[in-house]
Amino acid sequence: MQTAKSSKERNIFKRLMAARAADSHVGIALVLLLLIVVQTLVLGFDYGSFGQWFNAWFRNWINILRNNAGVGIVALGMTFVIITGGIDLAVGSTLVATGAVIMTLIDTGANGVLGGLGITGLPAYFIAIVIGLVMGYLLGKGIGLLITKGRIAPFIATLGAMKIFRSVTQHFMQGYNPRVPRDFLKISNVQIGGLMFMPIVYWAIIAIVLHYISTRTTFGRQVIAVGSNERAAQLSGVNVSRVKTRVYSLMGVLVAIAAIIQVSRIGSMDYANAGSGMEMDAIAAAVVGGTSMAGGRGTILGTFMGMLIIAVMNNLLNLFGVPPFLREAFKGLIVVLAVLLQRKQRE
Amino acid sequence: MIEMKNITKSFGTNLVLKNVSIALKGGEICALIGENGAGKSTLMNILGGVHQMDSGEIFIDGQRVNFNTPAQSLGAGIAFIHQELNLINDLPIFENMFIGRELKDKWGRLDLKGMYKATEEIFARMNIQIDPGTMVRDLDASYKQIVEICRAIMMEASVIIMDEPTTSLTEPEIKRVFEMMRTLQEQGVGIIFISHKLGEVMEICQRYFVLRDGELVAEGAVADVTTDDLARFMVGHDIEIDRLSRTKNLGKEILRLENFSHARDFRQINLSVREGEILGVTGLLGDGRSTLFQTVFGADRCISGRMFLRGEEVKVTSTEQALQLGIGYVPRNRKENGIIKDMNVLENASIVSWPLFAKRGVVDRERHEEIFRGQQQELDIVLQSFSDAINTLSGGNQQKVVLAKWLAADPKLLILDNPTQGVDVGAKEEIYGTILKLAEQGMAIVVLSSEAQEIIRICDRALVMYHGEIQGEVSGSAMTEHDIMRLATGGVLDAG
Repeated sequence: MQTAKSSKERNIFKRLMAARAADSHVGIALVLLLLIVVQTLVLGFDYGSFGQWFNAWFRNWINILRNNAGVGIVALGMTFVIITGGIDLAVGSTLVATGAVIMTLIDTGANGVLGGLGITGLPAYFIAIVIGLVMGYLLGKGIGLLITKGRIAPFIATLGAMKIFRSVTQHFMQGYNPRVPRDFLKISNVQIGGLMFMPIVYWAIIAIVLHYISTRTTFGRQVIAVGSNERAAQLSGVNVSRVKTRVYSLMGVLVAIAAIIQVSRIGSMDYANAGSGMEMDAIAAAVVGGTSMAGGRGTILGTFMGMLIIAVMNNLLNLFGVPPFLREAFKGLIVVLAVLLQRKQRE
Repeated sequence: MIEMKNITKSFGTNLVLKNVSIALKGGEICALIGENGAGKSTLMNILGGVHQMDSGEIFIDGQRVNFNTPAQSLGAGIAFIHQELNLINDLPIFENMFIGRELKDKWGRLDLKGMYKATEEIFARMNIQIDPGTMVRDLDASYKQIVEICRAIMMEASVIIMDEPTTSLTEPEIKRVFEMMRTLQEQGVGIIFISHKLGEVMEICQRYFVLRDGELVAEGAVADVTTDDLARFMVGHDIEIDRLSRTKNLGKEILRLENFSHARDFRQINLSVREGEILGVTGLLGDGRSTLFQTVFGADRCISGRMFLRGEEVKVTSTEQALQLGIGYVPRNRKENGIIKDMNVLENASIVSWPLFAKRGVVDRERHEEIFRGQQQELDIVLQSFSDAINTLSGGNQQKVVLAKWLAADPKLLILDNPTQGVDVGAKEEIYGTILKLAEQGMAIVVLSSEAQEIIRICDRALVMYHGEIQGEVSGSAMTEHDIMRLATGGVLDAG
């Protein structure tokens, strides 16, 4: 006879496994937790007091999160794209294109557009941000229309857009280095309590809003329906083309936000390299977070955790002193492992 | 000479062939006919090595043979030409002729000239004037059919099975294929011709076999029978079908189509449905009824003709617009078209009405729960929890969920395509009951079905389609399976 008490204790593991089977988030959260524990141990406890230790630990975390806010936001949008069965390779190029436009608008030098019109300060920032967001929206919508009305495969349409956006941006921005006004940098760099965490706040707010959109709104649910069974969705009165176009438009807006964060963080942009590889990092975060490349399955919460897993992993590699060239290999490894594990779990 | 003796086959508990025996001589064209699901395809798949029989024997020229794979069957000289042709569009004809058995020269390179020549020779023998170098993509449907037949000939097939070869062909194309069949016949090849078109059977075949519910019910010489006789063999005796009754309250006209035509699948359709009416539309494979009503629903395009909804002309270009206009469509093939497997039961039951009840784009989950709770009782849907995955439900309950999602939108016109496909008898009756109730409440209903009995049980009248056109109409208590089959196979009803 087993007592109820002992079986309860022994079953914590079993119960976790059952919860994992019921909700795929549990498995991802467990992996994340494990990594955080390892990271905490590696960081060590070699401090004078708990306060000092916590301070170091906390600052490390703020750094991790702030460094990943931009790509983290893009990954959230990529989740919607992948759920519909698509892919967006153009995010990095959209980032430099919108970033270049914003910087040209607010440039304090002789070529600054808004400065030339006599608009400076807050009104200028506001206008630049709105134009940046609208531009991201339009670029995204253009890609969406190519895919839905032009019936071009998402991979091809966004590959084309990726080449076009970056090349045009580089052409027009060569030899021109806009000066970003100091006040604009406050958007990302304002210090509160000695910490710079605004990008994290933007990321968190966007994650919450997108989570709500994905789980509660008609649009969010139609995205799942279209990705899971496009034909059935269409025959249920869903306007499949519009849903897909909106997904790419949303992606464009989110990339514009990432561009604003990047411009306001460092005040400059390397048009040849900024955002390159961003699409793959965003896809990796979504996939690690349980999004299915075949479409129909994926959550904002999952991608958020997926992004954190990759970020903590990077931080760990850093702490371990793994040579930089090898780090990408670990990123690749974690993506492959994540998908293997998820397949196992589903079977 | 091929003989199939006492063939029996079941899938699970479903006995699909019962002691069927047929025989075919060289130089003979035999028709194999029967309703959908009579067992024709299963029988031919056994001969073609696709399925294995449970019991029975097959003899070729008196020799007993056993086919476990299509390759073995092909090796014994039996070629099965499926409806979906097995040709590669992006290769020329002569390469298609040798797919999997390419001729090579001594260096292992493709012997293109040799293949071209061999194809030319076959074409000459068969009296076909096309260049073997033509890309298959550029051939019309009949020549594709002919290329497949030639390929079978090249593999020295002595028996060719043709599964509804004429469904997608035009009149002149059919003539061309028939000529080819006659040439083959002269050369001593035996052909089994599966078809729904009884007129063609009379024209090209010497003998016939009729299957019904897995049994061979008639065979003989085509010269001794009429298309009417064949249609009667297919249906069997007209059994008394218990028509379901309801209080009929026909109101205004809801839908009217005038000369409605599609690029490929239907032509010159005229019909009208009224409030409270249940209109049946039936036919055999290739009749075009599904495309017709998907076009009404905005999921496909018409090229000409007009559509009126409550007297007003409309052009429906999207399913979203159809939903807003009050047209509902419960599709056939639930798995592909009906359910969304990554969503739970409640979401599957409410997807159609999300935009109707949403407040500022936010799904009103409580309202959908409330509606579905009512529907669950009304339609008697058996389930554990609303948040269960949709595929945990039985087929019948899934079908009810698909029905429920449209009822939630309260359409004025509801189109049901094979509404009882793959559901058990109990659920079937419940779905019928629901359809009748909806009609009593004034909904205009169109039921598309391949089952004549279903049409007779619940519909007020029925249109029978044949190759994209309305062949005729039957109505009221005068509807019989026999009349429906006569129309569906291209015949006409006697006047009066």
